[in-house]
Amino acid sequence: MTINPTGRLSAKLHRRVCLVLTEDAVLAEELLARKKLAAEVAGRLSEKVLLIRPGRLDAVLDELRKMGHTPQIVKG
Amino acid sequence: MPPSPNDVIWSDRCRQALSRYIEPLARSVAALLVRPRTNQPLNELLDKAVATLTNPPVIDRRIRDLPESSRKLLALIGLSHQPRWKVEHLLTLLAALGYAEGFAPVQSALEAGLLFPVLTTDQQVESFTAVATAEIFTHPAVATRACGVSLDLPDLAKEEQPALHAIRTADGLDWPLRLAAVWQQVQAAPIRLTQANLLFKKDLHRLQADDVLSTPPMDLALCLPDVGVLALLWAAKCGLLTEHNGELSAATFPTTWEQGILAVLIELVAALPRIDNWNPLLGYNPTETGLSPTPTAGLLIFLLLAAAHPDRWVVPTDLARWLWDHHDLWTGSLPPSAVTDQGTEWVQAYLLGIAFPLQLIEVAENRVRLTRFGRHVFAGAPAPLDPPSFPQTLFVQPNAEILVYRQGLNPAVIATLSRFARWKGLGPACTLELSAEQTYRALESGMTLPMMSQTLTQYSTRPVPPAVIDLLQRWASKRERITVFSSAVLVEFTSSTELDQAINRGIVALRLTDRIGMTASGGEPGLAQLRLLANRDYEAKPQRCVTVDEDGVTLSVDAAAADLLLDVEIGRFASPLPPAPPTARRYRLDPDLLRRAAESLSLAEIDAWFTDRTGQPLSPAGRLFLLGPQLSPPISARLTVIRFPTPELTDGVLQWPDTRRLIRERLGPTAVVVELENMELLRKVLSDIGIAMV
Repeated sequence: MTINPTGRLSAKLHRRVCLVLTEDAVLAEELLARKKLAAEVAGRLSEKVLLIRPGRLDAVLDELRKMGHTPQIVKG
Repeated sequence: MPPSPNDVIWSDRCRQALSRYIEPLARSVAALLVRPRTNQPLNELLDKAVATLTNPPVIDRRIRDLPESSRKLLALIGLSHQPRWKVEHLLTLLAALGYAEGFAPVQSALEAGLLFPVLTTDQQVESFTAVATAEIFTHPAVATRACGVSLDLPDLAKEEQPALHAIRTADGLDWPLRLAAVWQQVQAAPIRLTQANLLFKKDLHRLQADDVLSTPPMDLALCLPDVGVLALLWAAKCGLLTEHNGELSAATFPTTWEQGILAVLIELVAALPRIDNWNPLLGYNPTETGLSPTPTAGLLIFLLLAAAHPDRWVVPTDLARWLWDHHDLWTGSLPPSAVTDQGTEWVQAYLLGIAFPLQLIEVAENRVRLTRFGRHVFAGAPAPLDPPSFPQTLFVQPNAEILVYRQGLNPAVIATLSRFARWKGLGPACTLELSAEQTYRALESGMTLPMMSQTLTQYSTRPVPPAVIDLLQRWASKRERITVFSSAVLVEFTSSTELDQAINRGIVALRLTDRIGMTASGGEPGLAQLRLLANRDYEAKPQRCVTVDEDGVTLSVDAAAADLLLDVEIGRFASPLPPAPPTARRYRLDPDLLRRAAESLSLAEIDAWFTDRTGQPLSPAGRLFLLGPQLSPPISARLTVIRFPTPELTDGVLQWPDTRRLIRERLGPTAVVVELENMELLRKVLSDIGIAMV
């Protein structure tokens, strides 16, 4: 299939997604190894991207801070 | 002269209040203010009424038209610098001035359109009687014009002069510093309030025990009770903290903090009448009625000092005696120990703990008088100049502590430092500490690393140690390691090639997976360049978007209906099959994955997921993968199958005890299994009843 370089691209939007982006895959592994945090993770979109369960943002932030991390929070 | 931004805000509030009056009341109030000669549409009349509030000559005339008690009421509000008051406090003040007329003075000012009720949402005002126990406000422009009204307070000054060398004044920084310290604590941990809007015990104890907040004031050896609680209540009333859903959290520092110490001190003075739950002798002291004598007695003390001769001194005992004679609520609230000296101890604590650090009074040999600044605030004298500034006022130590010399501090520096360094000690030289947590909070509040290092460099007397800058850099970069998007918009393209193109065109900036991208801010992408196939809300209930093929193991995903959770969840049970357009995305149940999923999920949870997504529980084939290994193993054995011509005959064989004991198991409607050693016996039994087995 050829793509028109100026045409509109077909896409699906996923809104109100809560996710965690880590600097590297090892850090993502470290987060997933934390039992309480792993319970709030719905899945791993890629090696550096964790998808958080809907409505569990505060619990994730609490746990990250307990682990000594200082996450940058981007509000939508 | 164009109206100031503050005038515009208060004019809006007055207009909103007027629009809640029923029409006859609104017309009558507006008519008294505007005095229109013709009948005008209501909205036009109300607009003119609000515009009149900022017209000094007209307001002066309207104030003159009021009864004397109402004029004094407006003067009290004006001199307090606080436009919003509880009605009961105002009635207390008027009673102390000798106008025990009840609600009448407030009602006259409300009817004249010079006072307005503080209304809750959608509240309609049919008359002013309901306002009697509520709050009112006035336009600051009106309050300012009323300040000239004489309150006829006595001059309590003494002839005798203290020795000039004994006069002491404060630098005015004590309370701004404490408020900044409490702001920092609330920023770190917001404070929840009870349903009655009071502090929980744990927070009360924390504030009472806090070393920084409880530091004795620098200039006078007077320790107020619960000074940390007062700092919290004060910070909440002067805009440093905001209350939302019963929780106090840190707000951004008000712009007044950029305007010099005197502007901040006036703001603190204006907030004093709004602090009810604190008392100079008892500390945190909430009352059942929510009304304390502190706001009114405090204001009367200032006004009595303002009424005294500017060059003479007042003895606190005389102030206490006047309050004792005129302020019944205050007299009645004094603890027994303070009654013996007619409340002098209360007045001294208020003067030395509140008025002195605010630079409102100067003290000499147990006498007090208003400072030039105090006379500016309460007697309309010209404003003094802001103190000279000394920009180089701090010293950053290699251990990441900051020593700040108080002479060079001003509210702007206090506010900036508070954002990224923790107050550790207040005194002639204050100490702060740089920490990872506070650096993180500063970054979260919008401050950048260059802003922090620039502040330190700008105000430092010596170069900032490179190790400290490195430390800040390290803490700041730590924050970059994890980014949490609370509500991002993810864009899923149909192929990785399309995602590449979207990145090249700047539609999205981050590649999350081979097909999913996102803008740098996690916000909405430019939709003009996209053809939307579907829109999914991550927080919505999961939709049914998977079909299970007849084989029970192949799962086909409806791409348009699928959501993001499906993609990550389905991978727990099945592996993707190679793409074969134009067919749907397909997966195959994987026995290993299913068993691994079963380690963290129960069968009921797996069934629930399949029911949500496919409309039916896990397929029998899936159950075979999942449960097969857990049950007893299948048995292989050599058996003989006998098939009868009809189900009825089979039923008979299984019912008749002589044959039933020889049958091992029924396989179907007409088939049974018999073990080899019973075969001949069954053949004989059947032949006895005339059935020959072939």
